[in-house]
Amino acid sequence: MKTVKKVDARRKLEGKAKFLDDYSYDGMIYGQFFCSNSHHGIIKKIIFPQEYDLSQFIIVSAKDIPGKNIVPEPECDQPFIAEKEVFHFGQIILGVAHPCKETLKDFIKNIKIEYKELPALADTKETLKDEMNSFGRKIIIDYSKNVKPKREWIHTHSVYYTPHQEQAYLEPQGMIAIHNQEQKTMFVKGTMQCPFFVKDAVEAIMGDKIKEAIIETSEGIGGAFGGKEDFPNIIAGIASLLSYKSKKPVKIVLDRSDDMKITTKRHPSRVEIDTYTDSKTHKIKKINIDYRLDAGAYQTLSPVVLSRGVLHSGGGYACEDVYIKGQLYKSNTPSNGAFRGFGAPQAFFAIESHIDKIAASLNLDPYEFRRMNIFRIGDEFPSTQKITENHLFDCFEKVIEKSDYHRKIKEFAKFNKSNDDKKGIGIAIAYHGGGYTGNGEKVLNSEVKIVIEKNGVVKVFVSNADMGQGAHTTLAQLVNETLSYPFEKTIVQIPNTSKTPNSGPTVASRTIYIVGNLLRKLALKIKKELQFENLEEFISNNQEYFPKEFRMHFVQDPSVIFNEETYQGIAYKDYSWVACVAEIYYHSVTYTIEPKRIWAVFDIGNVVNVKIAEGQAEGGIMQGVGYGLTEFFYKKGYGRMQGLTDYALPTSLDIPEINVEFIHTNSDFPKGLGEIPMHTPAPAIRNAFYNATGIFIDEIPLVPERIIKYELLKKK
Amino acid sequence: MEFIKPNTLKELLEIISTITGEKYYFAGGTDINIQIKKDIIRNGKIIFINHIKELNGIKEDENYILIGSTTTFRQIIESKLLNDKLPFFQKSLNNFASPLIQSQATIGGNIANGSPTADVVPLLLVLDGKLELISNSMNRTINLKDFFTGYKKFILKPDEIIKSIFIPQNAENGFDTFYEKIGSRKALSIAKIAVAGLKKVVNNEINEIKIAVGSLNEYPRRLDLIEDYLLNKDLKDIDFKKIRIILKEEITPITDLRSDKDYRFEVCLNLIKKFLLKPDSG
Repeated sequence: MKTVKKVDARRKLEGKAKFLDDYSYDGMIYGQFFCSNSHHGIIKKIIFPQEYDLSQFIIVSAKDIPGKNIVPEPECDQPFIAEKEVFHFGQIILGVAHPCKETLKDFIKNIKIEYKELPALADTKETLKDEMNSFGRKIIIDYSKNVKPKREWIHTHSVYYTPHQEQAYLEPQGMIAIHNQEQKTMFVKGTMQCPFFVKDAVEAIMGDKIKEAIIETSEGIGGAFGGKEDFPNIIAGIASLLSYKSKKPVKIVLDRSDDMKITTKRHPSRVEIDTYTDSKTHKIKKINIDYRLDAGAYQTLSPVVLSRGVLHSGGGYACEDVYIKGQLYKSNTPSNGAFRGFGAPQAFFAIESHIDKIAASLNLDPYEFRRMNIFRIGDEFPSTQKITENHLFDCFEKVIEKSDYHRKIKEFAKFNKSNDDKKGIGIAIAYHGGGYTGNGEKVLNSEVKIVIEKNGVVKVFVSNADMGQGAHTTLAQLVNETLSYPFEKTIVQIPNTSKTPNSGPTVASRTIYIVGNLLRKLALKIKKELQFENLEEFISNNQEYFPKEFRMHFVQDPSVIFNEETYQGIAYKDYSWVACVAEIYYHSVTYTIEPKRIWAVFDIGNVVNVKIAEGQAEGGIMQGVGYGLTEFFYKKGYGRMQGLTDYALPTSLDIPEINVEFIHTNSDFPKGLGEIPMHTPAPAIRNAFYNATGIFIDEIPLVPERIIKYELLKKK
Repeated sequence: MEFIKPNTLKELLEIISTITGEKYYFAGGTDINIQIKKDIIRNGKIIFINHIKELNGIKEDENYILIGSTTTFRQIIESKLLNDKLPFFQKSLNNFASPLIQSQATIGGNIANGSPTADVVPLLLVLDGKLELISNSMNRTINLKDFFTGYKKFILKPDEIIKSIFIPQNAENGFDTFYEKIGSRKALSIAKIAVAGLKKVVNNEINEIKIAVGSLNEYPRRLDLIEDYLLNKDLKDIDFKKIRIILKEEITPITDLRSDKDYRFEVCLNLIKKFLLKPDSG
């Protein structure tokens, strides 16, 4: 529980840290994409503008790919470059490079294309409504006991919708590729979360033209939030192709509007929930969930998002009869991808909204109803995994107490009786399984490396990126605190696939939980092996012994068994828990919800760095507030927001008072934190809005244009 | 594209009197830069005016407060003179855009960009603002109200520029003031609806009334018909059903990427109601 300053803070504040666009290489030229503006069509003809000398441009199409034109993904169904047919707008048709950025931009703008247009699905709701549009594997968690609903059970049914969400990282996506003809290597530097994914992608597209792809992240990565999990594969692949063809280093950096247009977003969802609740005991007796995600035109990593979404969709409630069905839906829009929460925020918005709806139909306070049904030791997830701790319940009770929930419920009811403006308070609870789902971590087989140099520098080698979340500070802390060694001399290296072992991608709230705990184990092993009292003294007294390298692989706890077919077993070894309360003020004149205060109590196990953890929690909460209130991305008939002017991320003036607390911090080890703060703000705000106005809205964001429709209906 | 930087106001006026084609004035650049980037501006001449002294600064004479057209929002927000004489005007612009944009963007630019959503225009309209227009051959002063003729269209002649904005010294005196800008967030937002109002109520009777709206028509404008209806009316006698009917004639809200027609209409009506029923701060 120490707070040390982030290692990168000073360099970033002084503007010294190098982000991708700060790097330049001799002879470097610039690359960009020519993308489809058709939702679905067969390419008939591409016409280049005549006023340019074509020989000055390097142009690559699918035909130029020496290797495979398929991006390596959990489901390999997406080409790097479209061949004859485009399946969504923004699909890459050509890679183009030129020494001058401006000329390149103008040239691409003037390329004309003719299609034979084909039928297309662009609207999310239309896509998700019709089962005809489903594709890929259907996931079923069958925990049903064929219980027949009794007469005194209350049936509650609703359909919940959540929208796209844009990651809006500060630094847009970008890559530099440098082909080395003699050594037959491709060096790629970029802003990314997963260097080894990019390595697989570059090696796939280049085929036998290279022996090895060497991937290195830039020094600074300006945010990612999942957006730089898989899309960098495509940029790196095409940059490599352009470098191979031009024999020059090629830099591709996306403009903000292109980044918003063509890269992956959070999956829109439609979640339909049916429940039966005993009106006497107030226990939920039966839950049926139909969880659907709009994957976009290709599946890519969506099956894994679906899997996590389904596993989190039952919420933190015990029920003896649960049936969950999950499936992907196909639309003619760019593939959706990873985003903080990975299917879980959609799931929790639905179930947490639904819980308030049941409580309302029982005329119960949402707190009382949750208290009756919340997970306790001995309960089971629908996957049959046992609940072994009451930490969710502890978070829940704590946040109710801290927010003064009970007093506010009464006070607000009184206020609301005599005012047009309304006050409201709402609850949401959630959890997040750390690391890859099921047997994923076993398959990943992460490896970490520590090298102790003669000069006493302890170098930490992992493939996980610090994209601003502070990973290279917290990982260093886990090593230096275990070795009782100075923090300044413990340095996490910039990930480079030829130097760092594969400790897996920087995703799934796994960096501290899996990689950090593994590093700590390795540090303990070093301590045992070297048997030192003081490592600094030991190094200076035993110089002949150094430099010395230590390595360790992740070993999965053998009790973790998960059946990928039946979705039974232990889906995640450790869960983080959260309970959240949101207080809002509703402006009746403008139909606007103003979040006033948010309390969140987390159990993330041992907290490595309090300041960094608080920053993650507060940032995630704001991303959740934006998701619930303002981040409107797509409007039927008008298309997608094109930039950060229209796509309304909250500003610093929009941030409510946020109160974060971590409990059960005396635990043996840290668990995942990255994603869980995202799960609860949107449903808590939606429930607070119900508390304020008596209006249930089952769709986010709760923009005033949506609210007014319900208000006008109420008046009629 | 050609870039021109005249040294003096005289030189500027001479240069623009000779340019026949497309031309743009670059003051803060917060709109022009984006229009260039988005290819909305592809050709023509870009003329820098932000360094010309005569166009910048806040002064007063006997009857008016004068704001030079390249005066930035930061200058306006920090002006002591405005704090003394036009505090409502000044305070209303506090949350304009963001601190970065406030430092660059200019009041003349906000007007001459011609956007229906221009934040400063509804305020200037209720304060009876005037524009001093200047060219090589003549000077004239017009009411801001008469400046706009359509979407991004004004009465400005090809060789004319806005030199300064005039606001009567006593424009706010004795008035009950109102300004609300509704955007998708609290700062850095483009108005979906903006309503500015001034009223004088004596013994419950409306003696003077000025209401202007933004983002609801092709350009920001005063609501003349609503004002006519309200003038000399007792507050108790205001019929909001009647106002709804008049408003339908006077504003033409649209549905676009940012908002919906119905929302814009209802909120405009609600804001007018809020303004009228607001207790007189007197």
